[in-house]
Amino acid sequence: MTLLDRRSLLIAGGALAAASATGTATARVPPSSMVPLIGPGYRPVDADERGMWQQMERVEEEIAGSNLVVQDAALAGYLKGLIGKVGGPAARDFRIYLVRIPDFNALMFPTGMAVIFTGLLLRMRNEAQLAGVIAHEAAHFLRKHQIRQWRDMRTRTDIFAMLAMGAGIAGGAAGVNTGDISQLGQLGTILSLLRYNRGLEAEADAMGVRLLAEQGYDPRAMAETWAQLIAEEKLSAKYRRKRRHRDISLFGTHPSPESRMADLRLSAADVMRPGATYDARHASYLAAIGKIRPTLLDDQVKLNDPGASLYIVNNLAQDGWNGLLRYSEAEIYRLHNRAGFDEHAARSYAVAVQYPDAPADAWRWHGIMLSKAGRREESRAALTRYLALAPNAPDAAFVRQMLVS
Amino acid sequence: MTRIKLAILTAATALSLSACAGGAVSGLGFGNYALVRARETSVGNGSLRVAPPREWNRQHGQLFVDIREVEDWTLNGPLLDGVSFVTGLKSGATLVRQTRRDDRQVPKFRSNMTAPEVASMLESLFRVRGGTVDFKTLGLAPRSFLGQPGYQFDFEHLDSDEVWRRGRAVGATVNGRLYLILYDAARAHYYNAALPDFEAIATSARVVR
Repeated sequence: MTLLDRRSLLIAGGALAAASATGTATARVPPSSMVPLIGPGYRPVDADERGMWQQMERVEEEIAGSNLVVQDAALAGYLKGLIGKVGGPAARDFRIYLVRIPDFNALMFPTGMAVIFTGLLLRMRNEAQLAGVIAHEAAHFLRKHQIRQWRDMRTRTDIFAMLAMGAGIAGGAAGVNTGDISQLGQLGTILSLLRYNRGLEAEADAMGVRLLAEQGYDPRAMAETWAQLIAEEKLSAKYRRKRRHRDISLFGTHPSPESRMADLRLSAADVMRPGATYDARHASYLAAIGKIRPTLLDDQVKLNDPGASLYIVNNLAQDGWNGLLRYSEAEIYRLHNRAGFDEHAARSYAVAVQYPDAPADAWRWHGIMLSKAGRREESRAALTRYLALAPNAPDAAFVRQMLVS
Repeated sequence: MTRIKLAILTAATALSLSACAGGAVSGLGFGNYALVRARETSVGNGSLRVAPPREWNRQHGQLFVDIREVEDWTLNGPLLDGVSFVTGLKSGATLVRQTRRDDRQVPKFRSNMTAPEVASMLESLFRVRGGTVDFKTLGLAPRSFLGQPGYQFDFEHLDSDEVWRRGRAVGATVNGRLYLILYDAARAHYYNAALPDFEAIATSARVVR
């Protein structure tokens, strides 16, 4: 472990101050020190890196042809545009795939292929937050982290290195916050390469913040994302009456997520220049993902992880409640299905249908809740409204029967 | 280790109320099948009897996953097709064993649930335990089952093994308990191939106590 931390410190550019004797802390990397190690059109030269690229190209073929990839040309174009903005000198060399997995994750492969999970899109409040994650991942590529990590692993022969690799592979196989994409081909093993050590994560954070600010995005967005994740995990654990436990693999392991967040805030302050304007770009984000948001919410809510889902809905609602978010809140309560939560759900459905953008499904559930509460006439009105809004709904036959019985 | 095994199991599974499947993937006591003859036989906890039109294979339950009220059958292996019987699930119980602290949980059954709520519970079962990433409801319509006013739920889902599967569940709540037969099979070929079997099984079903 000590060895690893010394390496991290060297990578961190000799900023020694924060390192304790036991090696439990990693110094913050100054964003100004983060220059790209590669230019446009980078191709591997050394034999080991060429071999790695060959393997990764096979993985990319598999992912590109996967039917988990979301087929939405407009959205794909939007993501490509984003990585083009914050991708530094390699901006034109990236490929980016959106896969339908309701977990928070993004992966950068050593060849410049990025994979974004739909669960990540769901959790981002604005374009700056999403661009921050993409910039962090781009930084792994620009700083050649994958090959550095690979060489680092091979040259270390101590038992800790072996354990770390084992853990990485197990993490991939167990789908720890990587969803089920680890089932694709050799990805399970390969994912172990993408679990960077703390020093590399600190680099990617620092460089990400810098790339973000250079494009006029509010660089504080990265610390916000991190804060959101911590809060989501806490609320998820609270609803299941336990302590927060999950490893958040996107940013690698770290003794204290809170100190990581603090580092990101300091780095953001470093790169912000007085007089310059930084934007979160909320409107352009909504314009790009608005159409898919109902699906993203549905995918999360149906997992019945009430604490996490409620956190996500409330976090998005900071930009304003609407029918979709109220409906999602009601769905979370209904699926949670504990004593008293039926009433919570009924109330939220009742509020949801007041909004003009309420999904048709909100009317059906509102009607069912009213019916269970014995309010027959109101129930009939709500179900009739549902059928008017969605005459061809797959459950229309059942709802019609409810109306006549 | 448990977590790894479970993840491999669920990711490989795709279906069925027993989260078990995946044959050779894990080696956790699979290959435990018993022949079901083409005559009336009792399933689950014994409170339901059905008559399959031909021979099927009964999967042995897994100690820490399956509950007494659920039994799984297959023709060609659980990744390709399967029928699950839910035989009198009590209010407040879940379709699979799970610990109170699992982040993602299959909702409990409640005896006052309407058909859309049962359908939604099944959808969460697939998403939480089957690795389903996309789930589409194809139909929910009234259908008599066990001589009671019940429902038929048709759906299809894309699982993390990238296979589209299609399913049909027929169910009813009898004396506050859930009785349901769920058919789920690969959408290409297998679903249509064994659908007549499922229909015959569902039609033949009767409660014996």
